[in-house]
Amino acid sequence: MPKTSLDLMQGTVAVLILKTLSWGAMHGYDVSRAIRQRSDGALGLEDAALYQALHRLERKGWIEAEWGLSEKNRRAKFYRLTDDGRHALQSEVTTWRSYVEAVSKVLETA
Amino acid sequence: MPRRRLFRFPWRTAAQVAADVDEELELHLDLVAQELAEEGWSPEAARAEARRQFGDLEGTRKVCRELDSRKEMQMKWTESLGDLGQDLRFGGRQLLKSPGFTLVAVLTLALGIGATTAIFSVVYGVVLRSLPWKEPERLVRPLFITQEGERHGAFSAPNFLDVRAQSKTLSGLAGVSGGTLNLSGGGAEPERLPASWVTANYFDVLGIRPLAGRTFAPDEDRPGAPRVAVISEEFWGRRFGRDAGVIGRVLTLNGQPHTVVGVLARGSQLPAGSDAWVPLVFSENDLKGRGAVWFAGIGRLAPGVTWEKAQAELDLIAHRLAEQYPDANAGYMKGMALESLQENMIGDTRKPLLILLGAVGFVLLIACVNVANLLLVRAAAREGEIVIRAALGAGRTRIVRQLLTESLVLALVGGAAGVALAWWATNALVKLAPRGIPRLEEIGLDGTTLLFAFGVSLLTGVLFGLAPALQTSRTDLSGVIREGTRGSKGRGATRARGALVVAEMALAVILLAGAGLLIRSFARLQKVDPGFDPKGVVTFNLELPASKYSDDAKLRTFMAGLMERMEQLPGVTSAGATVYGMPLDDQVNVLTFSVAGRPPAPPGKEESMRIANATPDYFKTLGIPIMRGRGFTPQDRDGAPQVVVITEEAARRYFPNEDPLGKRIDLGWTAGGVTRGGDIVGIAADFKQETLSQRSEPQLYMPYDQAPLESLSVVLRSGRDPQLVALAAKAKIRELDPDLPIYGLQSMQEAVAKSTAQSRFYMLLLGGFAVISLILAAIGIYGVIAFAVRQRTQEIGIRIALGATGQRVTRMVVGQGMVLAGVGAVVGLLGAAFATRGMQSLLFEVKTSDPTIYVAVALLLVLVAAVASYLPARRAALTDPQLALRGEA
Repeated sequence: MPKTSLDLMQGTVAVLILKTLSWGAMHGYDVSRAIRQRSDGALGLEDAALYQALHRLERKGWIEAEWGLSEKNRRAKFYRLTDDGRHALQSEVTTWRSYVEAVSKVLETA
Repeated sequence: MPRRRLFRFPWRTAAQVAADVDEELELHLDLVAQELAEEGWSPEAARAEARRQFGDLEGTRKVCRELDSRKEMQMKWTESLGDLGQDLRFGGRQLLKSPGFTLVAVLTLALGIGATTAIFSVVYGVVLRSLPWKEPERLVRPLFITQEGERHGAFSAPNFLDVRAQSKTLSGLAGVSGGTLNLSGGGAEPERLPASWVTANYFDVLGIRPLAGRTFAPDEDRPGAPRVAVISEEFWGRRFGRDAGVIGRVLTLNGQPHTVVGVLARGSQLPAGSDAWVPLVFSENDLKGRGAVWFAGIGRLAPGVTWEKAQAELDLIAHRLAEQYPDANAGYMKGMALESLQENMIGDTRKPLLILLGAVGFVLLIACVNVANLLLVRAAAREGEIVIRAALGAGRTRIVRQLLTESLVLALVGGAAGVALAWWATNALVKLAPRGIPRLEEIGLDGTTLLFAFGVSLLTGVLFGLAPALQTSRTDLSGVIREGTRGSKGRGATRARGALVVAEMALAVILLAGAGLLIRSFARLQKVDPGFDPKGVVTFNLELPASKYSDDAKLRTFMAGLMERMEQLPGVTSAGATVYGMPLDDQVNVLTFSVAGRPPAPPGKEESMRIANATPDYFKTLGIPIMRGRGFTPQDRDGAPQVVVITEEAARRYFPNEDPLGKRIDLGWTAGGVTRGGDIVGIAADFKQETLSQRSEPQLYMPYDQAPLESLSVVLRSGRDPQLVALAAKAKIRELDPDLPIYGLQSMQEAVAKSTAQSRFYMLLLGGFAVISLILAAIGIYGVIAFAVRQRTQEIGIRIALGATGQRVTRMVVGQGMVLAGVGAVVGLLGAAFATRGMQSLLFEVKTSDPTIYVAVALLLVLVAAVASYLPARRAALTDPQLALRGEA
């Protein structure tokens, strides 16, 4: 597995999870694969951090979970975005964009 | 509020939460391992790689479990609160839907809770709340134990000083004596102030800080010290409009100028009724009179000293003083006992108040029972609703909770109404309370009593709500569906209602019996012959200040002028005066005496009796007959042969086998070198000296002229309005001495009424409770019988169709009520025999086992029950069989 120099902060993990779940309900494994695929594996997100973040978000009420059946007919916990979660995602994305913009400006003017 | 789910999964246990986390993580690891296996890893290696990739598996597991169980808890709470809100709203709606039921239930509860709260606030204020001073539990009253085993709190000056000097277990011992002071001068009308004479350390011992100014300095109770006074907040407001400049003002008290040095706050003063405190200065005479006991002591236990240690030390000191001064002390102080100041102040009031609290508790219980009964009846009507809720999946707990919530809503509304009632009732009680109940000024609704009312409301809500809720929730679904909604509840509920009615009947009987005993006792008291004729007699007091009336001659002159003027008052047929001789008065003067010609008694063993003086017309004015010999005449003046009149009781006790007339009595009282006393010239009838319930004690009278004293009680007999007579008397007295206030004005009929006021107060309260409980019990039995009749309509219809007469149906229904009442009466009488045992000390010439009371109470109850069940019985008898059979009646 490729390693990256990028170290992800907890807040970033949350945004990634919320974004991923905005495409639809999925269980933990799918969330982890989806993030890896979209980032071409550039983000070495540890599964441990992912699961802890999922449960933290659930407690926060930004996502909710329901037990269902996976493709292979095993009981799996499916996460879904709540209304609160959707609002949180929007504001997080805005914040993230302006942050990136600001950092980029500094880097480009150098 | 979050949106509620229609269906909710049952709550998970901690183990389930953990298992769910495990399963979720396991699935992830399996899927990753599978992925790797497809890439060609061996199963074991794939599994190991999956775990490695995952990172801190155990840590994650822990964090997730923790987060999930917290979330679970939070949801549970939210859900419960949501349910509670739902229950409350639903309960409120249900109660509003049947306003009749709700009104009756709330009123019943308000009555019960209100009465209980009011009585509790009195008990709390008088008995339970600690005294308002620093460490009040360390304040004590030292009491001497006499040879006869009686306890007396009175000190003589030498004994007081000795005890104070010798005791190391008391950090302070203060002396206090009550009385009245004449306030004069300043252009205003002279006024009589309730006052206290206290040693300089009094306020320090109690720990009383003044509201303004200071209390007494240590040397202000020495002879010759400048005269100072501390006044009450009440007096400060009344006389000086709370003027801050009162400190330093000079008041003329008993003709002497006193400088006001401080003001005491209303809540912290002792005694409560006092308006002025002046230093208790021991005169030379006081310091010589070791046998003259006349004031009370209040001590404070020194820090770290236990009660027992202080008690032992003071007992020892008393023994020593008795040995050292046998003449004065041998009989009086065999030992010393300590009583807490609070105990001493509450005294005899504790018991009747606790009895009242118990009684009002019964009223509350009856109210609960009645509401429970109403709820049971209502539950029957709500059976359909309950069945539907159960069928829709509400569990039994959920239904019980719903019903209990309704009861609690009911109880809290009732409690709120009860507090309003209690507020009114407490004020009324304080106004109605007879004198003699201590600490009345401390009674009122406050945080504690409100908390009590709230607690009582909650408790009653559970108490009356639980049984009906359980009963109702037991509804058998299939039974209801099979039988239709009528009568499916059957015997269980009927029996429960019957049991409740029996319980409340029994409680009512106990209260009625208690009230009956008090009423009978009061009636006995009313019939007591006071020994004088109170009709048309008015009395008032005068205190002749020693500063102005400094010798006997001045007193005699004043009295002669007074009697002359009083007799001239329009409408006055007879006038007299006495010192210490008034009936129904607590001023007592006891002196030792000896009968001439008998061997002298050993020191400390002398006989003693009540000694008073009287003017010639005193007996005639009060209507106290002279049984033998003669009363006093104007010729029995100073210088004439000394004469005395004794009462019949004195003759019986001290001259059992001889004729007392002509015998000479010498008193332990010498004045100007003359031993006071005299030849017995007459025997007066006995009369009630302090209270109507007491037996008359031996008493001796001397002519006023031969033994004048300063604290006069004047009596006037007239056919006129006492107020008018008093007004005229006041004007005449002003002529004699413009600085002399008259006080204690009352008609003798008022005095008689006052002496029964306490019994009357307790009788009225307990009687009131008994009446309320009887009414509630009657409503209860009416409700049960009426409901039974409604349920049995079909059966009764059949009976009537088969030829039963209306009379017979009536008898059957009333009979049912009688059975309940009978059982209730029997249980209640047994309970009453037990419960009233503690009341003996409140009763006058009535035994708690008085059978007439019990029979009367049982009859009354059965009668009330008969009337209460007759009403529904009438309706039953009028049942139209046709309608009944079709189920339309």
